[in-house]
Amino acid sequence: VAKTSLTSPPWPEVKLPDPVEEAKYHAEVVRKVNGLISAGQYGRLFAVVHFASKQWKITNEDLIMMDNVLEAECGDRIRMEKVLLVGADDFTLVGRPLLGKDLVRVEATVIEKTESWPKVNVRFWRRHNFQRKKIIANPQTVLRINTIEIYPCLS
Amino acid sequence: FFQHFRGRKNRCYRLAVRSVRRAFVRSTKARREKKRFLRALWITRIEAASLEHGLKYPAFISNLLKSQVELNRKVLADLAIYEPKTFKSLAALAQRRRQEGFLAALGDGKEPEGIFSRIVHHH
Repeated sequence: VAKTSLTSPPWPEVKLPDPVEEAKYHAEVVRKVNGLISAGQYGRLFAVVHFASKQWKITNEDLIMMDNVLEAECGDRIRMEKVLLVGADDFTLVGRPLLGKDLVRVEATVIEKTESWPKVNVRFWRRHNFQRKKIIANPQTVLRINTIEIYPCLS
Repeated sequence: FFQHFRGRKNRCYRLAVRSVRRAFVRSTKARREKKRFLRALWITRIEAASLEHGLKYPAFISNLLKSQVELNRKVLADLAIYEPKTFKSLAALAQRRRQEGFLAALGDGKEPEGIFSRIVHHH
């Protein structure tokens, strides 16, 4: 059959590596990372956590402020589940989409529960005698991330 | 509220009233536009970072979502700035998923059964 413009696809042809060799390579990488974690040879850990309908990139001794009310009192310890990503200098663990609870542990304490500065909400149409004024002060909570820990339970 | 304004607006009551009202209205509208603006900023940053690794932004984002990694653009932009190695690994993941998608789209390379193709020769 003659070669037309549609015989071969427009993207360059790429060959994927052998699945058996790939599985061996993956197992070795997992073993190395497990060894690193159990030996404790990582510096600062950072994590991406889904909390209060927002995603935060957090490390140890971090301050986080959210624009809502938490039902915990000041000084309560909170464990954050829904961890999306954990990383250190040499390796990262990417969740699909979440990481297991037996892998990561993120601890935080509630420090402050205040209100935001009074925001002024004004709507005004000129020449139409239309004016509305509203002052909004959102409740806010401040959390301090104490620790992020990982355990060597990869597979 | 108006002591940092320019000209007579920071001294005269009549002018100040009008300019303060306009300032309030503009701040309320800007609070809604700020979200759109920030998202566009994140998108441009992620696009620049993924181009450094040889991927375009739509390919990067679509392949990340297809491999079930649900990071939002704000965090991706922060990772691209402060954690370049992590962003490189994410780009490699997206590239690999893209190639797997291409291979899956090609299929076996055989024609479906029950169909024959004929070439017409013109003399």
